[in-house]
Amino acid sequence: MSAFLDVIAAMLFGGALFGIILDSNDLAAETQMVYNGDMMVQQMLTSTVQLVEGELRNIGFGLPSAQPAIRLADSTSMTFLSDIDRDGSVDTIAYSVGAVSEIASTPNELDRFLKRSVNHEGIQNIGVVTLFSLRYFTQSGALLPTPVPSSRVSEIYTVELTVEVQNPVAPARDPSMVKAGERDALYSSSLWQQTRLASQNNRR
Amino acid sequence: MLGNSIEDGDFMTTGQTMLTLGAFMFLTTILMNFYQVLGGTGDTIQNGQDGILATTIATSYKEIARGLAFDEFSDTCSSAIRNVTALTSPLHLRREAGEDSLAAFNDIDDLNGFEVEKQAIGSVVRYHTRFTVYYVDPDNIDHYSSVQTFTKRLDMKTWRVYPPVLDPTQIDTMRTTMVMGYFHFN
Repeated sequence: MSAFLDVIAAMLFGGALFGIILDSNDLAAETQMVYNGDMMVQQMLTSTVQLVEGELRNIGFGLPSAQPAIRLADSTSMTFLSDIDRDGSVDTIAYSVGAVSEIASTPNELDRFLKRSVNHEGIQNIGVVTLFSLRYFTQSGALLPTPVPSSRVSEIYTVELTVEVQNPVAPARDPSMVKAGERDALYSSSLWQQTRLASQNNRR
Repeated sequence: MLGNSIEDGDFMTTGQTMLTLGAFMFLTTILMNFYQVLGGTGDTIQNGQDGILATTIATSYKEIARGLAFDEFSDTCSSAIRNVTALTSPLHLRREAGEDSLAAFNDIDDLNGFEVEKQAIGSVVRYHTRFTVYYVDPDNIDHYSSVQTFTKRLDMKTWRVYPPVLDPTQIDTMRTTMVMGYFHFN
């Protein structure tokens, strides 16, 4: 009888151990995927914003101080002037986002291309973002409506840019755990928000 | 022959019990290490995101500072300042009455001693920033100057205040520096 109890106890302990190991394996795999996603979006975000940040810093470079540096200002697109190649002639740089349907092949339904063009020649995809939002403020800190009317473009003093990047593919969630309005995968997200002067010539 | 076989019908010996307990302790140690590594990796990833947010916040303040006048006096003076003593005394580098927010500041001195808290967009994480402005030696911007010069330095410390950092040994303050020189367009 006692031997039988030993066997039963051993089976219980063994089962518990097996369960713990299986759980740990599942957890490790899921966490690894989530962490990989986190790291990937951080890398994607920093590489994308490096270019944007560099060009935003030079808005209005080489432009007479009286001339507005921003030509078109909308909530997801902007066109500004800057002599980016330092050849003495002012260039027109445009940023915009594409439609989500352009990257329909990825499971993430929010990702879209961030597009850039110089002097209206050849639009390039410079990154994949899930949010590219622009807000414009006057010198007194008042928020301007978007699209900013052309008569008020010269009032833009600072530009606030928000960029969010999510991974295109993420580990799927257990369908029974997904509530209405929630996403069906564990998407990682990384945010970047920066305020930039509309022109470095605008110093008080 | 080993004792306590099933045929013998004996209970587990003390040795076996100890062996089982040892195995459990070993397994527990492995599991604890495993979860610790997982948690540590999560912290590293979170620190990366914190660093990105803190950098964007500090850069935004730096950009706002770039848009400010070099000095209270140069903000209102239309001609070039040639005499360095015309600038604000190092002891009076502070904001003037009525200048209570970043939007109200007109010169970089206003940032001296200013502290501000900002919540990162899309999260509950809040960052605190402390500003210090002082004159520096133009030949060595790391040297504080007790007299007026045409060069000022802005030091910023940005750190997370919410959620607070649990590990006190973790470095969470980002230091940023900007040097501003006086210039005038004729």
